[in-house]
Parts: sequence; structure tokens; C-alpha cells
Amino acid sequence: MVESVLNIEGLKTYFFTEAGVVKAVDGISFNLKKGESLGLVGESGSGKTVTALSVLRIVPKPGRIIDGKVEYNGEDLLKKTEDEMRRIRGGEIAIIFQDPSSSLNPVYSIESQLSDVIRAHQNVSKDETREKVIEILTMVGLPEAETRINEYPHQFSGGMKQRVAIARALACEPTLLFADEPTTNLDVTIQAQVLDLLNDLKKKFGMSLVMITHDMGIIANMTTRVVVLYAGSVCEIARTHDLFAYPRHPYTEALLAAVPRLDMRKTLRVIPGNIPNLIEPPSGCRFHPRCDYATETCKKVIPVLEEVGPEHFVACHEWRNIRLKGEMTHSE
Amino acid sequence: MRQAPSWKYPFGTSGIGTDVFSEVIHGTKYALYVGILVTAITMGISILIGAIAGFYGGWVDTILMRITEVFLVFPALLLILVFVRIFSLTAAEPFWIIPLINIQIPAGLTIVILILGVFNWASNARMIRGEFLRVRELEFTEAEKALGASNLRIIFRHILPNILSSIIVVSSLTIAYAILLEAAVSFLGFGDPNTITWGQILQENFSDARVVWWAEFFPGLAILFTVFGFNLLGDGLSDALNPRLRE
Repeated sequence: MVESVLNIEGLKTYFFTEAGVVKAVDGISFNLKKGESLGLVGESGSGKTVTALSVLRIVPKPGRIIDGKVEYNGEDLLKKTEDEMRRIRGGEIAIIFQDPSSSLNPVYSIESQLSDVIRAHQNVSKDETREKVIEILTMVGLPEAETRINEYPHQFSGGMKQRVAIARALACEPTLLFADEPTTNLDVTIQAQVLDLLNDLKKKFGMSLVMITHDMGIIANMTTRVVVLYAGSVCEIARTHDLFAYPRHPYTEALLAAVPRLDMRKTLRVIPGNIPNLIEPPSGCRFHPRCDYATETCKKVIPVLEEVGPEHFVACHEWRNIRLKGEMTHSE
Repeated sequence: MRQAPSWKYPFGTSGIGTDVFSEVIHGTKYALYVGILVTAITMGISILIGAIAGFYGGWVDTILMRITEVFLVFPALLLILVFVRIFSLTAAEPFWIIPLINIQIPAGLTIVILILGVFNWASNARMIRGEFLRVRELEFTEAEKALGASNLRIIFRHILPNILSSIIVVSSLTIAYAILLEAAVSFLGFGDPNTITWGQILQENFSDARVVWWAEFFPGLAILFTVFGFNLLGDGLSDALNPRLRE
């Protein structure tokens, strides 16, 4: 078995707001193997981003990690000191944020933003840093990197800014990269370019990648395994192909049915209702109020992850009794 | 004795025969000392308090802002007058020398400067706190944190430069306001009687103002131009420092 880079167990991150305790991440467990591309999928507010921020321990106030284990290469990150974490952030684990136009500091040139990161983590001279900056910017496909490094973020287009943000995240060659909806704010054509770039760079550096998105298309193209999150807990973990072909959780089925397809004439199915209030989540299975297959048990008992196939886990009481429709009804 | 403005005495002479032009020129130095030093003290305190309150938020913010409000609601001029009167009696040395830059400042004026600085930071601190709150919410502070920057680094290297243009504008307004305030303190007779500041000239010639109008008019004009000039400077600098307007 391939060793895991990241092993999250029972992670709980709550936000202590004035309205009450928001259980944004409530007992999430999954692991990430070395060199793997893992998808983290779910609706807005399902806890995808908070999970990533919890791993880096940069959950914004009033959020706090309450419980759980986050093992990175066998060491629990939640037990590290703030100093040790600072060295890990950006150096070993990096994250790319959703909005490239606000994730770069507007008052610094591209060069100083990248060299800042490099010099924070590595002991290199000024000239070397500059060379490295140019090298990495060329690698992410920034044309005329030598001259453009003196420019400021507002002089770049959205796609170029995201490339710079990617370059900054990769400047210290991290072993684990979180990409938090890196293409949500980009045009479709640029999206494809950025995703290709991420794929190439992942191979080049041998990184493990966690792709956070709500776009099932990106999941299908970019990942080998998927974790489906709903309202702060894991519904299903499966290999990407299995997830699309044989979803076991009603929520996964509903997610797949909500993806528009050009090759099939079908009406898009909408998942009724909204993601539940995380201050007082529904009892039992959190999905039961929106689930077509819900029974009395679902209302009372919280389902646990059960192994239903090779590397396929689902948290559903009814998985034995229901037949769900996948994307590909007959195997390829 | 007193003479109207002429080629020899461009600003005229005062009731006791002093040359108003020389006095105004001499006062310029003190006006700049007052403006710059008061602003340095004020901005030092307000950046520290505003940054901590805005960045950390929560109970730290609550406590610091309540303290700030205490300073805001007190009638500053009154307090300044009281404290200047109390402390100016205690000045032992005739001059105080500022370390590093080796500038000599009359002791009485130093006390006025210190007190003006200590009592004027509140509204600036509130403004800087607001700016920190705004910039702290931008994604790049989170991104910097994710790249391994410490809180101090985020505050001083990433957030502060982003609000520099507001700080500069406010600083130049504070310089202007400090000069005005010192003039007011001196005019009311609470200034350093051994230092010829513009306010001091106004105060000394006030009783003869109807006759020697020039001894009031020209120092007043000097204050007006200086205050106006610092306001313009602030505007210009804020444009020059904005990377969006830079080619």
C-alpha cells in the first residue's frame, strides 16, 4: 500500500459565532496518498475550504479546531508549535485560493511577492532568488517573465494572476498542494489552461494535490479519488471512476444528476432545499431532509462510513437497499 | 517704534519695535518642529493602537476602542491647556535635544509638543483600525498566512503598506492641525513664552491688533499657507503612492 501524505481523523472545526456554534467541519476523516489527486467536493458551506484551512491551521476567527488529528507524513500538525507551522505553510503545504485578484498583495511587485516567500523558507542569495522567481514564472507560462516581474498585480489579467498565485504557492516546491476552487473566477478557456498547468506541475514536482471544487467536471478530469462532503461530514469516498459509475450515497447521485451534459438530453435535477443550518444540523443523517430515500432510522441515527467496495466508503444507512443511478450506466 | 510694512520691514514692526518678518521666519522653524513631531507621536500611537485593535479584533479591539473613545469625548483643548500649565513649570533644562537628529528644542515647546501628541491620536487610531479591518478581510492576508507569514509580518509588511496612502493623507492633515493647535494654545497664553512661535506672535500683538494689524495679519497668513500646503502635499503624495496611478 502506498503511504499517506495526509491523514485526517475525526477533524472538528467549529465557529463560535454570536448566533451559536457553527459546526462547519464535524468529524471528517480521509487520507491522501503520496502523489495522488484527491477531489474534495460539496456544495458551498459543506466544509471543503474549512478543512483545507484547518490542515494549515489558519482557520479565521471565531473558528477553532476542536478535535481530531491531522497527520502530515506521520506527524500530527495540530500538535506543532506556531513556529513549526509557519515553516510548513508555504514550504511544505501550500494553498491556492479562489480569487486571484485578491490573493495577491496589490502594493508589491510580482517579483517581491515571490521572492518574499522563497526567502522566508530557503536560505538563498538575492540573485539566486531572482533567478528562481523568473524560472518558476516561466514554468507557469507567464510570457516575458524577466520583464513582467517588475509589474504589479493590477497589470495582469485574471488568468495571469492565477498563474502568478500558483507560482507563488509552488515557489518552495511544496509536497502537498490544496487548490481551493482555483478556476471558479476564470473564463472557461482559461480554466482549462490553468487545470492543465496544475496537472503538469503536479507531475513535475511529484506533489500530492487536493482539489477543492463543486464542479463535477473538474473532479472527473483532475482527480483519481473523491471525498464527497455534505454539511461538514463525509458522505462518500471513492475512486473517481467508481463514484461516477456507481454512486452509493443519495447525495452523490443528486450531485451527479445536477451536472449538465451535452451528450444526453435530460432535464437537470435540482437537489431540493438548501444546505442545512450548521448551528443546529438535522438529527441523524444530515442529508435526510433532502433525501428521496430517507427512512425513520435516517432521522435518528448518524450513519458511519462503511466499506462497500475496494476503496469505496459510504455513510448511508440505506446503501444496501437502494439502487442509485450513476453517470455511466454501462461500464466503459 | 511700530512701523507699517515697508521695504525695510516687509511685515512691519510690532508695538515694541520687533521686526515681524524676522519673527515669522523664526517661527517657521518651530511650526515645522511642532507639526512634524506632534504628528510623529500621534501617528506612532495611533498606528500601534489601530493596528492591534483592527487586526486582532475581539476583546482586544473592544478594550482599545473604549480607551480611544475616552480620549475622543474629552475636550482635548481644555486638557491640553491644563497639562501644559502643569508641566511647563517643571521644565528644568532650557533646551531638550532630540536624540539621533540632534535638534534643539526649547523645553517649554517640547512639553507643548508632547502633550499635543499624546492627546490627538484618538481619531487617527479609529481611522487606522477601520483600514486594518478592511484590508484584513482581503484574501491576500489569508494567502500570506498560508505561505508562512507571521502576524507581525502581515501587519507591518502586508497590511500597513496597503493603507499607507491613507496614513500619509492623515499625517499631513495632522501636521496642519498640530500647527493650528499650537498656535491656538500659544494665542491663549499657554504656550512657551520664551519661544517665538506664530501663535506667540499673535498673542503678543493681540492687544494692539487694531493699530498694528500687520503683526497679526502676516503670522496668520503664514499659518494659513503652511496648513494649506500640508493639505496639498498629502493629496499629492497619496496619488503618487497609489500603484494604480503609477505607470
